[in-house]
Amino acid sequence: MVRFIKPFKAGLPGRRKPAAGQGGGPGEHREGDVFAGRGIQDRELSPDLEINLLMMKTVFSECSDAIFREFYFAGDERIKLAIVYMDGMADKIQITAQIMRSLMLDAPLVEQDEELTRARALTTIKKLLPIQHIEETNNLGKAVDAVLSGDTVLFVDGHASAIINASRGWEGRNVEESQTELAVRGPREAFVETIRVNLSLLRRKIKSPDLKIEMMKLGRVTKTDVAVVYIKGIVNDKLVAEVKERLGRIEIDAVLETGYIEELIEDSPWSPFSTVYHTERPDKVAAQLLEGRAAILMDGTPYALTVPVFFVEAIQNPEDYYERSVYSSAVRLVRLISLVISLLGPSLYIAIVTYHQEMLPTALLLSLAAQREAVPFPALVEAVVMEFAFEILREAGIRLPRQVGQAVSIVGALIIGEAAVRAGIIAASTVIVVALTGIASFTFYYSASVSIRFLRFPMMVLAGTLGLYGVICGVLTILTHLATLRSFGYPYLFPVAPFSAGDMKDVVVRAPWWVMLRRPRLIGKTDPRREAAGLEPSPPPDGRKR
Amino acid sequence: MLEGGRIGARQAVFLMVSMVLPTAFLFVASVTSHLARQDGWISILLATLAALLIARLAVSLSLRFPGKTLFQFTEEILGRWPGKAVTLLYIWWYIHMNAEIVRQFGSFVVSAFMPETPIIFIELLITAIAAYAVRNGLEVFTRVNEIVLPLILGSVVIIIFLVTPEMNMKNLLPVFEYGAVPVIKGAVMPAAWMGEIVTMAVLIPYLSRAEEAHRIAAAATLITGFFLAVTQVIDIAIFGPEITAGWLFPALNEIRMIHLANYLERLEAIQMGIWVAGGLVKICVFYWAAALGSAQWLELKDYKPLVLPLGAILLAMSITLHDSILDLFDFLGRYWGPYALTIFIAGIPLLLLAVAAARGRGGSPG
Repeated sequence: MVRFIKPFKAGLPGRRKPAAGQGGGPGEHREGDVFAGRGIQDRELSPDLEINLLMMKTVFSECSDAIFREFYFAGDERIKLAIVYMDGMADKIQITAQIMRSLMLDAPLVEQDEELTRARALTTIKKLLPIQHIEETNNLGKAVDAVLSGDTVLFVDGHASAIINASRGWEGRNVEESQTELAVRGPREAFVETIRVNLSLLRRKIKSPDLKIEMMKLGRVTKTDVAVVYIKGIVNDKLVAEVKERLGRIEIDAVLETGYIEELIEDSPWSPFSTVYHTERPDKVAAQLLEGRAAILMDGTPYALTVPVFFVEAIQNPEDYYERSVYSSAVRLVRLISLVISLLGPSLYIAIVTYHQEMLPTALLLSLAAQREAVPFPALVEAVVMEFAFEILREAGIRLPRQVGQAVSIVGALIIGEAAVRAGIIAASTVIVVALTGIASFTFYYSASVSIRFLRFPMMVLAGTLGLYGVICGVLTILTHLATLRSFGYPYLFPVAPFSAGDMKDVVVRAPWWVMLRRPRLIGKTDPRREAAGLEPSPPPDGRKR
Repeated sequence: MLEGGRIGARQAVFLMVSMVLPTAFLFVASVTSHLARQDGWISILLATLAALLIARLAVSLSLRFPGKTLFQFTEEILGRWPGKAVTLLYIWWYIHMNAEIVRQFGSFVVSAFMPETPIIFIELLITAIAAYAVRNGLEVFTRVNEIVLPLILGSVVIIIFLVTPEMNMKNLLPVFEYGAVPVIKGAVMPAAWMGEIVTMAVLIPYLSRAEEAHRIAAAATLITGFFLAVTQVIDIAIFGPEITAGWLFPALNEIRMIHLANYLERLEAIQMGIWVAGGLVKICVFYWAAALGSAQWLELKDYKPLVLPLGAILLAMSITLHDSILDLFDFLGRYWGPYALTIFIAGIPLLLLAVAAARGRGGSPG
């Protein structure tokens, strides 16, 4: 008996071993009989409706949200039907109105002159179903998967196959404004948790049959829908193959967020820097696709991944491309400097105050010395403590319930900042540096900001022990590390190193659109040309002037 | 494949410039001024000329043996055991030279910025970073250099502009006050420095287009020569030959002269940044050459296991070679030039080329 049960259990997703203590109850006996020792994936349906339903009920035993409904075709007792669907996953109105109503009530009216027999029932029913997408299957596993995805499975007595009716419809968030990546100018919509909606957002931006969306399922238990998206003819085919290869390698029980996928496909898992880009903005993903990248979307999360990513993307923002180029370039410079401040701000402060006072103008030095006179700690301790306090505040700010937000910010800003200075525990200059660093770290790409915030602490220790030399060595180590990184095989520091003059138009400055004629050199080789040359606008020639 | 990396022409030029310039920038002016007085810039030009010849020699030699480094074609030219002996000499030279550089590096940081820090600690840190870069291969430190070198050259140019008010060109006169002999003597040490371009013979197999090697070597030498000559002129114009010769690091004092509008002053930090970053790349190149050479000499499949032991040797040698910074300067000024120049930079390559031509080894030079 156990011999019969085991293969079936192995076929069930996520249940490798029979649970302990279920040695041989009567329930298992029945399972063994029903499936005759075969897994559900390769089990065929039976012509007998009762057996089909029994199999479904066995699979969905103790699943109170699985709904079974048996009825007769047009009230004719010869032809017995049954539908199976998941409560909450399927659109009930559609099931009632389009499946049950058309088969129970409307059917006889349409098919009056044709004689209904059991043998012809399936064909007739398929003709009668006003559903946008139906599929026939004779495989139990497929039927089960369909039910789990929110489709409705219709069994017809006397036929060894089932009709899968597209009826997915569940409660989801509406498309809303992005919460984490804000822009003054530009589209406001952000991805939601439903992959179909997200894909449609992309498709609406790129109305081209070349926008390819390849679906796959990840997660042995969760069977999450994952889409690999790219634009054929722009993307490098090898990149797509590599993405699919890396996704295909994943064998995990669940993927609940693209973060799972990110960690399983990145090039350098131990690096503090992420070599996969994530965003919840469809416009950002569309732009990435148009540059020749590939995107990975997943059902259940608003965050899409794009690969490959270059380090300079940390200071790029979708809004740069919507605002005029002069302003965007200036803002980008602000972001670049912020990035440097957020990495080096506290460590340079520590190094200068501790070791290199001679670098400061005398007046500033005197004022600093006066502030620091009463402070009992060395600059390193002060700065590390304050940076840590800032990290606590930041983390609390994210997690705390909205109602207490104000209390925390008051306590945080006033007590930690103002009172600590007044009490003479921390120098005012330290608070200024830490606050500036903290603010600066939010001006650029969040994931890079996380990496840099993390690296700030070792930098501070280096500054506190070796002064400026330590800081420079730290920067060189980080630089060397960045030079070793690759994202899906592409060097992370491109286009700075390896240097590509044409791509520098979109690094420190954002050149006007009529100058950026080509896609990034490394990733856009397949179709390098982005626009026609000579698009620079100018006033009309003399003849057309008013 | 020992080294899988391939670098482009611009990357190679940058690398060869970084290999020479940052250290030379700091040390050459003092020694040259000592010997050639106000004519030091002529010495530099002479040295540049010599370096161009050396580059020509090294590249011609190397191009006869496509795909082979200096450490491999010696065997082809001289036969297995004599070749191995010569290769061993070169490996020694790279290790020795690198140890001297690490020591210069440490001495500079200690004496100019951190007099109380033990020198070994400074050297350990930079050697560790270099080891990390070298372990990850040629492409990695080439890319680091691609970012670092433009910053270095940029700041050098800015510094030059900022010190112009302090300059007095009359200091350069009279030309040839002491005749040609001191000028030639003064050229020996910069020539030894710039002659390090002989490393092209190691790099050529890893160029994406080897046929550009002549131009790469020449461009790198000319850029280096230009910056060195300009520095020499400026140092002498600011301080005069006596004071320049008296400074340990004239370039550092040059930066200390900058006083602009009462807030732009004391920019030594920039000098430290230049030196540490440039020094790192330089150490990396020779470190890599030593590791690669040792692996090829031992006919290993991978040089990575050799990186850490070599680093330990480097560090130990750099500490034990000299008692003090004065000893270091004395050695560099008096012995380094003839030692490096006659044996490794010109002597052996010339010999190799002669033997190769005589025995008809290798293809015709490209």
